[in-house]
Amino acid sequence: MYERIFRFLGSIKLAVPLLTVIIGILIWGTFYEAKVGSATVQYEVYKSPWFDALMFLLALNLAVAALSRYPWRGPRKIGFAIAHLGIIVIIAGSAAVIHLGVEGVIPLRTDSGLNNEIRVEGDFLEVMDPQGKISQADLFIKPNGSVNVNQVGGISLIGYTNNAIETIKFVEAGTANNLAVRLSFHSNNMGQNLETWLAQAPEEYHKVGIGPTELELVTVANETELKEAISPPSEENPYPWGQLKITSSEGEIGDIPVKENLAQNLTLEDNIQIKIINFWPDFQIDENRQPITLSPLVRNPVIQLEIEAPEGRERMFLFGRGDFAPIRYLVSGEAISSLQLNYEVQLQPTEDYFRVITTPTGELYYAAHSSKGFKSGSLEIGTPTTPGWADFQITLEEVIPHGRPQPQVVPVNNPQIQGIPALLVKTEEKTKTWLPWGEAKTIPTPEGEAFAAFGPKLIQLPFQIALEDFIIDRNEGDDSIAMWTSKIRIEDPEQGIVTQRNVWMNHPTWYKGWKIAQASWDPNDLQQSTLQVKREPVWVTSLTWSGSAFIVLGIIIMFYAPSLNNSQ
Amino acid sequence: MKLLKFLIGLCLGLLILILPLSQWQVSDLEPLQTLAVQLDGRKKPLDTVAREQVTQIHGSTHYRQDNGEVEDYFPTYLSLWFNQRDWNQEPFILFSYRPLKEQVGLDPERKYFSFQELISSDLPRIFNSAKQKESQGLDLTRDEREALTVADRMTLMVNIVGNDNLPLIPHPSDIKGKWVGFEAGETYYQPAQMVPIRETYQSMKVIYGEETENLGAMGSNLGTALRELSPEVYPAPELLQREVNFSALHFFGKAWKLYILAFLAMVFGLWFQQLDFYWGAIGIFVAGLGIQSYGFIARMTIAGRPPVTNMYESVVWVAFGVAAVALLFELIYRAKYYLLAAAPLAAASLVLADSLPAILDPSIKPLVPVLRDNFWLSIHVPTITLSYASFALAMGLGHIILGYYLFAPRARDKITSLSRLNYRVLQVGVLLLTTGVILGGIWAHFAWGRFWGWDPKETWALIALLSYLVPLHGRLVGWLSNFGMGVASVVCFNSVIMAWYGVNFVLGQGLHSYGFGTGGSELIIASLVGVDLLFVLAATVRHKGWFAKSESAVSQSPQV
Repeated sequence: MYERIFRFLGSIKLAVPLLTVIIGILIWGTFYEAKVGSATVQYEVYKSPWFDALMFLLALNLAVAALSRYPWRGPRKIGFAIAHLGIIVIIAGSAAVIHLGVEGVIPLRTDSGLNNEIRVEGDFLEVMDPQGKISQADLFIKPNGSVNVNQVGGISLIGYTNNAIETIKFVEAGTANNLAVRLSFHSNNMGQNLETWLAQAPEEYHKVGIGPTELELVTVANETELKEAISPPSEENPYPWGQLKITSSEGEIGDIPVKENLAQNLTLEDNIQIKIINFWPDFQIDENRQPITLSPLVRNPVIQLEIEAPEGRERMFLFGRGDFAPIRYLVSGEAISSLQLNYEVQLQPTEDYFRVITTPTGELYYAAHSSKGFKSGSLEIGTPTTPGWADFQITLEEVIPHGRPQPQVVPVNNPQIQGIPALLVKTEEKTKTWLPWGEAKTIPTPEGEAFAAFGPKLIQLPFQIALEDFIIDRNEGDDSIAMWTSKIRIEDPEQGIVTQRNVWMNHPTWYKGWKIAQASWDPNDLQQSTLQVKREPVWVTSLTWSGSAFIVLGIIIMFYAPSLNNSQ
Repeated sequence: MKLLKFLIGLCLGLLILILPLSQWQVSDLEPLQTLAVQLDGRKKPLDTVAREQVTQIHGSTHYRQDNGEVEDYFPTYLSLWFNQRDWNQEPFILFSYRPLKEQVGLDPERKYFSFQELISSDLPRIFNSAKQKESQGLDLTRDEREALTVADRMTLMVNIVGNDNLPLIPHPSDIKGKWVGFEAGETYYQPAQMVPIRETYQSMKVIYGEETENLGAMGSNLGTALRELSPEVYPAPELLQREVNFSALHFFGKAWKLYILAFLAMVFGLWFQQLDFYWGAIGIFVAGLGIQSYGFIARMTIAGRPPVTNMYESVVWVAFGVAAVALLFELIYRAKYYLLAAAPLAAASLVLADSLPAILDPSIKPLVPVLRDNFWLSIHVPTITLSYASFALAMGLGHIILGYYLFAPRARDKITSLSRLNYRVLQVGVLLLTTGVILGGIWAHFAWGRFWGWDPKETWALIALLSYLVPLHGRLVGWLSNFGMGVASVVCFNSVIMAWYGVNFVLGQGLHSYGFGTGGSELIIASLVGVDLLFVLAATVRHKGWFAKSESAVSQSPQV
């Protein structure tokens, strides 16, 4: 019985179906890879235990086949044995390359110093429980969001999102008055659902911008202020582009509305000439260092003017917003010191806004403005109002009189929001917490606080690398890239060694068994270069190489030595 | 006697190389052809620029004018460059995709259109929106891709016509420095040096088409003047001349004709046995192989790099490999069938390489960084592709074997000996592919830091190897007969096609991305494979006697 099994294990009748199965899996694997990407296939197929088992079975088949045919008489048998044992060696070597090698990338910049942390494929979760016991796990997250590990250090991993944002929520603190309200936005047409908090404090929750609209929490002190807040806005601003006020030592000598007087030559008090050359309602300096306007809305108005007084002639930029001092250029003569120029302008209120108004008695009202006009009314929890922005509905979801801000991580479904990955974990007490990628977080438990950190898997190198220069060669007379080279410095404080190396395509450098090779670079940032750092034990390399030699030699002997023998 | 016949065949073959004699005539324009231009990352003769650009716009190296006169690419290019005709109205631009022609309101029956016709059609609207989509990184439809191709041809043509900025003026000192056009010459040289050069250029423009015989002398003056500007940087005349000759002689085009001729000679030899032209056929075949090898070496020296770096070169190399392996076996076994199987395959590969410039781009371009400066590239890729060539030869032999099973199943001796011949070729293929895969692993150890990483190209090379090992082992336990091995030689070649072409064009994934491309050729290949499999099925039906009533299945032949 055993002999039959043994013979089967070494037989072609096992080898042929086994090879056929492997071929089938590999074909499927390459097509699957085109669909889901290399990392997933590596994890699910090539580095999986069942694939290892398959390879082991093949190696066993080869070993039994080769050994059971001992003694190997004649060149054909000898070649057969060498080739087949060579395959076993190479399978072992390749498996060791895949499983025992350490491989990662190290991002370097010419303008930053030494680095010794390499980023390894996959992610990492570290948990410290209230007693200080540390547990760690390597995570593999598939494109569909499933995680390979369920439990680390007493907390369960129950979810993952690749798009989460860190925001603040307000909780009832029962101490100081700090009204906080939670509003939800819903649009059927745009398929959007958003939530946001408004609060009296901190400052940034007082007024929140969502796209082109502005949300604000307004506190009124009395009935009059309330009436004003919920009444439609008053008539048009008479000076939409503001006014230029000029004062001399004798007092105000000019009051020039900008819009009406743009590009006009104006004379004041006989001896003062002034011309407003340019007006930018929403001023910004573009990448060519030229002034431009971002929008036609008067948000950050700036005027440029030229003024001539008896002392001299000057050009200047005046800013309507903030406390920016004017920028002045002397054209001729001396600087004009006798005149004071002020640019006064009322910033254009945002066209679309939604204000939540709170009275001293705690009543809530709203006032909304849109292209469709002004709306106001009282605001109650759960009753949607329509401000007039497309089909958006705004609902007051929650009111917290004594709000205290508390940071939180929430997953978002909106692909326009660029978030970070986050892992959802649950303690034994069923407390759920999102762990943002690359940050440590505390998790409250009855015994105290636990800490958890979800982030990249990093390995410390025994030496440090700095990027000294990154050089790009282009093809002659052309912008296409011929080669790129990283000039690096390796510092090994333990050995007291500092060495300079060049790394370029196909030309890695080796340091203490670590191979350092050019991995990638960023065409938009030539100060940055990413190197691949890799190490595999010497015996692994020698296994694959000697296996290679055996196979080729074995095949040659097997195929051609017998005929050489015959012809002799 | 054998030697005589061989020499007759060889001379016959070399005659093809020499004929037509007109190709050896030195054209009046020859001095212009060897002007050096720095374009697409290397210095090349104007002749090559003209050939590449005319081919890109017109899809052919010849242009048949409205009056029926056929003009070669070089005069056509000069006429464009000197803006000497009304190129706006000449129907010169290739536009072959029918559905798009219909959509933009152009005559679908016509192949070539003038710039004027295209620009006033509905086409600009489509390629403008396609460009917009492309810049946003969106996927394009077939219509849009075709529209962009035509738009590229139009842009290229506009850029050639009257172009005074062709980089003909060498950099004064740096061998890799940027060359400039006539207009910008003063940035490098004194006006006193530039003025005569520009004058020559201007007068060449004027006399072109009128006194073409003087053009050569002026071109020669221009060439000398340009060389004298920067003799260290300007390429040697021999180098430029060699590339011009390489294009003019068109070695690969001659080689496939010789392969066909050798094939026909061999077939006639088989039909009329008394003729015995075996050695003559071998002679012709050797001439073909010799011409192809010479062409390949010439291309290597011009490009200054290993022989196989892209899809085009690999197809030409496989043609060479098929012929070389076949010749080797032919010389050992004198079996006739190696040559019979190899000649059509080698010819077909070369014709394919010659006729699909859009998919298999023959122009010599600088290598991508991964492939540069590399010892392994020059041994790993040729070894792998040589193994593909061996398997292609086995595939050809497999067809002959299955042909016998289909049409002459009683010729058992023939089948047995053919199977033996086929087995030898499969052995070579297995040895070369194994070696090639291993060499690739060693290169990957240096380049990517690991011997084996299941990259799709690696994996498919292994799949191809394993799919030949399965029948070879199955044969040992009697699961496959001669018939089965014939089927395997044909069917397993599909795994080679997948490893060679499919990974680059179908999967488009992985580290070997420098070979990737798109060409819409998948359907053609898939249908060829389909037809071939039908042939295998037909042979199987006949062999197994599935639909025959009385005919008993052919019994298994003895093992090889």
